Amino acid sequence: MEEVGAKLRWWVEYFEEAKKTRRKYANWEFIKSQPPKIRVALEYFIEVGDLYNAAKLAGMSMEEFNELRIRAGIPSVG
Amino acid sequence: MSGVDEGKLREWVERLREAREIRRKYANWEFIKSLPPKLRVALEYFVETGDFRTAAAMAEMGVDEFVDLARYRAGIPLVY
Amino acid sequence: MSANAVADSSFLIDWAKYSRSKLLFKLFEVVFIPESVLAELRSEKTLTWVAQGLEVGRLAVLPEFPDASREALQLVSRSRRLPVRAVDYPEAYCMVIGRELGYTVLTENGGALAVRDYDPAFAGVEVLRALDVLYRLWRLGHLESFKEELKLYEHETKRLYTSRDLAKYGDAL
Repeated sequence: MEEVGAKLRWWVEYFEEAKKTRRKYANWEFIKSQPPKIRVALEYFIEVGDLYNAAKLAGMSMEEFNELRIRAGIPSVG
Repeated sequence: MSGVDEGKLREWVERLREAREIRRKYANWEFIKSLPPKLRVALEYFVETGDFRTAAAMAEMGVDEFVDLARYRAGIPLVY
Repeated sequence: MSANAVADSSFLIDWAKYSRSKLLFKLFEVVFIPESVLAELRSEKTLTWVAQGLEVGRLAVLPEFPDASREALQLVSRSRRLPVRAVDYPEAYCMVIGRELGYTVLTENGGALAVRDYDPAFAGVEVLRALDVLYRLWRLGHLESFKEELKLYEHETKRLYTSRDLAKYGDAL
């Protein structure tokens, strides 16, 4: 039970680090210049790192959104 | 269409008619008539039918963007 | 807290404007949003609300299931032959999902509300409008006054409930 707790804590920290990294490298000027649907999706991706739902929010395929997040300077971490 | 509850259908026809009357009554017609044709026609269609989806397509807007225009700027209450 | 719900555009674009929108999750564990509904949302406020819900795991995107999709199209087609407002695809999909998965359908759309009433195939589907959600929240003690909250909701969303709509909650108002 303790091991599960420790593993969980490890993953929580891992995802927190990943979020910080995405936030750090994101091109915020590019992101803020986007129309609302795209901007919200990119911000969501930065916060959560969830490509599937971010793509749905943007109304794009995962591949298209992946290219978009690259253009936005957001690394795929976590 | 078999099995349709005719009584309920009639009730809904009446409800939707009443809804149209409400939209017509509260709409800000001065504002609506001041708009370019595409938006004006879309809003008029929306007042008459309550069909926000088709109206949004007429206005070439997202459904939520269109509904915001209708309710907050054109004064059209949302009824059904 | 009961199970899950599926929400269509007409519900979401109102509810996202409501200052106490988080109360929805007192009633439902997860609220699903069909892809076809999400695809038509464009405004920042609604999308931000959805994104926040996804972040905390209380909203989820519901994919298109081919069988449900097919039946939704049939429902759209059937409803177009009747003298009431037809059901559009996103609402029809929600109704089919509501029936197949036992999810509560959240909608404000007249076409969908009417279907539940006149079409026996959907008689067992629980369909709630924001009016009904607020009433339940009040009955569960999450709101002080149903009447005041309804007034607030109508003011913030410009959604108007007619006397016919309100008749069933006469005592509470």
